[in-house]
Amino acid sequence: MDPTVLINERVDVVPIFYAHAPEQALCVPWKMKYKQQEIIFTKLGYRHPTVQGKRMIHVFDVSDDANDYRLEFDAERLTWTLVSMLEGSYVR
Amino acid sequence: MFDSLNTEKPMVMHIDLNSAFATTEQQAHPHLRGKPMGVTNRLSKECVVIAASYEAKALGIKVGTRRSEALAICPDFVMLETDPPKYHSVYQKLIMIMKDYSPNIQMKSIDEGIIDFHGCESTLGGRTLTEIGYEIKQRVRQDIGEWMRINVGIGPNRFLAKQAASWHKPDGLDVIAHENLEQYYDKMTLTDLNGIAEHYAARLNAHNIFTPLQFLAASEFVLKKQVFKSVVGTYWYRRLRGFEVDDAGTHLGMVGRQWVVHKPTHDTTYLLPCLSYLCETVGMKLRYRQVEARGICVWMRLRNGESWYGKRMHKSSFYTNDEIYKRALEQFSARPYGSIVTMIGIYCYGLEPSRRSQLSLFEDITKKEWLAQAVDEINDHYGMFTVYSATTLNGTKIIKQKIPFGGTEYFNLLLGRA
Repeated sequence: MDPTVLINERVDVVPIFYAHAPEQALCVPWKMKYKQQEIIFTKLGYRHPTVQGKRMIHVFDVSDDANDYRLEFDAERLTWTLVSMLEGSYVR
Repeated sequence: MFDSLNTEKPMVMHIDLNSAFATTEQQAHPHLRGKPMGVTNRLSKECVVIAASYEAKALGIKVGTRRSEALAICPDFVMLETDPPKYHSVYQKLIMIMKDYSPNIQMKSIDEGIIDFHGCESTLGGRTLTEIGYEIKQRVRQDIGEWMRINVGIGPNRFLAKQAASWHKPDGLDVIAHENLEQYYDKMTLTDLNGIAEHYAARLNAHNIFTPLQFLAASEFVLKKQVFKSVVGTYWYRRLRGFEVDDAGTHLGMVGRQWVVHKPTHDTTYLLPCLSYLCETVGMKLRYRQVEARGICVWMRLRNGESWYGKRMHKSSFYTNDEIYKRALEQFSARPYGSIVTMIGIYCYGLEPSRRSQLSLFEDITKKEWLAQAVDEINDHYGMFTVYSATTLNGTKIIKQKIPFGGTEYFNLLLGRA
């Protein structure tokens, strides 16, 4: 029904900041380490800004072909959080 | 003047994001693309679909379908909770694209808008609106996402532009002008016309009007004096022929909020915090629109199928949460005792422009204004419901902020405080 798995854990992320790219793809998470595994993202679904109180958060919906991930970058604290994961195996 | 078809070159473009929320989620989640999925406000056993993907629609799952019904139709149906900041981002990008083509744009809701090209002929550079329409489709894919699809309709007035945008879904682009107007009407039914639902269709049927072509052929006299019995008939007479009648601004008559009771009950201790919550959101809207109200109405839909309301016009105007709650409580206390409430709402009416900027002779009035302003500023800065009345405490745990479907006036406010 709802394939979303809530995680809410801080993760290590390697992003790429492009000098010349469309606004949507100026900053793209390239890979992250989660549970000692390196996950390389192959697709950026969507990026959008939001706020939590006065803190600016950038939300990245990315995919590694196996699953879809929601990553949030806190622009004030400079932290990356893996908020949730949508299991690709669930969506047939 | 309005008796023949409007032969003016079509200069109004209607843009409609296809299944906006569902398509946005498919854009964000590549695994959901091409799959039957939907979006709901809050996942629960009996939640309903508020936006379905085209794949779900093809199976018969549409807006209003319950979760259990959707799963019975398609066991693999996926439902996600709404993500308003994501939709707001798409909405903002769509506005930016539209503004690149004309200063005369108007968003009709968070997923559709109108570009009026009247007076912008020189900026088109000799290109037709059809070419501009295809360019906007391409820009939506580039600037928002490759899965995003829009319908574009072009017509001589807003009504025909919207009809054109609904002609071939998804991802269509159609023009309705005087040359093909009658052929278009010939393929449609009365209820295919935006603004004609069962009730109006029945009225038309009663006067031997069963098709859009018969509707078009009806005289202004028949529509005005016999079918609609008001100026609405004249508006339809002109609208069907391609003349603009829908460009007038709307008058703000009331400000309100309603809520489907999560667990239908007659329990006052459950309903009161929710009422207080609704009062706070209505107060927020009033102050956002810079108006004050004199009238208040509390209404309820009851489990037994009946409805109830209590309303009162006050001598003095009000706008603070506390004033609204006190007045709403007075009406709420007069409700039929013991009835199980399934839906509750309040609205303020008798609106007048805010006089808050005027200096008051009375210190208690000034203090009240300062307090409302301070609370609004804190909530603006730190997020909605950072500071609120103690009576709302439990209400914030029960009610979830909803997405405004109709107007776009409060979307920025809600997002700013989300």
